[in-house]
Amino acid sequence: MAIQLLNGVVYGGLLYLLAVGLVLIFGLREVVNFAHGALFMLGSYVGYTLAASGQWWLGLLVSVVFMAAVGCVLDALVFRSLRKHDHIVTVLITFGLLLILETVVTVTWGKAYLSYPVPKLLAGTVEIAGSPFPIYRLFIIAVSLLVAAGLAAWLRFTRMGLYVRAASTNAHVTSIQGIDVDRLSLVVVGLGTALAGLSGVVAGPLLTLSPTMGNYILIDSFIVVVIGGLGSFGGAFIAALLIGQIHNLGAIYLPWAATMLPFLLMIGILIWRPTGFAGSRT
Amino acid sequence: MTSAVDKAALAKRPVMPRTARILGFAALALALGVAMPWLVSSKLTLSLTTQAIVDALLATSVGFLVLQNGRVSFGQAAFFGLGGYAFGVLVARQLVAPEVAFLLALALPTLVAFLLGLVFARIAGVAHAMLTLAVGQAFYEIAFRWRELAKGDDGMSFELPQRIFGFASSSLQDPAVMVVVAWSALVLALAGLALFVNSRIGQIAAAVRDNEERARFIGHDTAIPPAIVYAIAAFLAALAGLLQATYNGYIAPQMFHWSLSGTALIMAVVGGAQFIVGPAIGAVCFFFLKDFAGRFAEFWPAIVGTVLVAVTLLMPQGMVGLAFRLWAARRSKP
Repeated sequence: MAIQLLNGVVYGGLLYLLAVGLVLIFGLREVVNFAHGALFMLGSYVGYTLAASGQWWLGLLVSVVFMAAVGCVLDALVFRSLRKHDHIVTVLITFGLLLILETVVTVTWGKAYLSYPVPKLLAGTVEIAGSPFPIYRLFIIAVSLLVAAGLAAWLRFTRMGLYVRAASTNAHVTSIQGIDVDRLSLVVVGLGTALAGLSGVVAGPLLTLSPTMGNYILIDSFIVVVIGGLGSFGGAFIAALLIGQIHNLGAIYLPWAATMLPFLLMIGILIWRPTGFAGSRT
Repeated sequence: MTSAVDKAALAKRPVMPRTARILGFAALALALGVAMPWLVSSKLTLSLTTQAIVDALLATSVGFLVLQNGRVSFGQAAFFGLGGYAFGVLVARQLVAPEVAFLLALALPTLVAFLLGLVFARIAGVAHAMLTLAVGQAFYEIAFRWRELAKGDDGMSFELPQRIFGFASSSLQDPAVMVVVAWSALVLALAGLALFVNSRIGQIAAAVRDNEERARFIGHDTAIPPAIVYAIAAFLAALAGLLQATYNGYIAPQMFHWSLSGTALIMAVVGGAQFIVGPAIGAVCFFFLKDFAGRFAEFWPAIVGTVLVAVTLLMPQGMVGLAFRLWAARRSKP
């Protein structure tokens, strides 16, 4: 049982890394980023090229840096001009980006499924409650908790974090106060996509790589964001852990309904509270 | 779409054609459709045209929700799949007479959409897109997992019964016949939508879309008319699914998948979701562009993505909107 709960935390942690990127980007730019799953996938592939040749940690670093750069470019070229548009327009545009990114990856790496190596340092298992548990999965939990704690501290205690929270509440008023929201969002969108890259590489050894690998986890992270409340960091954390558990326990105890449970939960919560647990917007 | 775009579109929307003009156009289009098998001899072209018309019906369904309810759905394939599956499963198991299966395949999705619409119409924007996405994927998961229903992921081929509504059903898999059936369905659907938009219920639905509170304030029921729009849209999607299932004699979970819903939405937006015929035109153009771009199949999704980004940013009213604007500009010249 302990093992199953831990597995749920592993998946919840991965979902959190993606969902918090969505929340960051939505907060600053009011963009509902359908391309986030594709960014996750791109990050995974970028890391793969180095990881396959034994340089797993370098792959992680390169992927994070590369995806941060991609995020900055996206923000400057695409998201900035979307500010005036309705949320739904941003959905369509980022859906278009998703198709473009999938094609880029298909052309570069091919359609075949690739499997990702586990770094040597983290291979093997430890005994937890009498059963073996892969060290690598503990690493995933540690990474997501570190990111969550670091992000919470950054948002809570630094001046820039204060600006981010202010701009997420109301970008217009924040810019009137003399804060350069465009520069701020360059950092925030870069951070959000860098987290997508990070989770892509970290999730790599658990999943098989394919150009469509981002779609499934994207939908789950959307569910997390919507359940937690659009634009809420804490809500996303709670919701990610919840969906992680439902995903895993469902697969064990209700296998025929497992993949539907998150959808049903989201439908129920949206009908009950269209803004989600902690959200104040739709 | 955006409220700003909505208002611009409303201000610029051409004068609604009268009932007689709608019926006249429809009769003309129907005659053209009946003549199609004689005008075009290539079976392949006819078959492709049939597929394009099925896409057009689905895109019309998505577009009509945008037009009349102002709601963007990422799950309209749910009703497409439901129509196809209801027919395929009932016929394959011979549970009911094929005629009854045919009618049930249209009635069931319509009813489901009406009931869902009563709730969904209250939810706007991104939450609505996510909600419909979730409903569509829930249906997909059922079709995917439930192997006993229709062989799950593999999809299921089924034999059509000998006769349906007194016609030899093998003719329904002949492109020369099916193209006329599908075309007539599309023309009647578009004419029906044009009539509905002008009807009392259609007008109330539009009023609710523009401002629900005011519509309620002047004494209209604001729950039923939008739900009827959902039902009509689902009916069209189910019709498309039914036609595809009949024509191919095959159903598969991909009929429910959100990528199909997304594609239909793209076609609707590119064609111009502010117009009744926009989505259908977008879908047909897309279909033949895709066929034409067959050599670049590998790059096709990127082409679609680029077109989508360009259209959404540069011509928010789509191809039909652009055509109207060009036409108006020409007319205003001396």
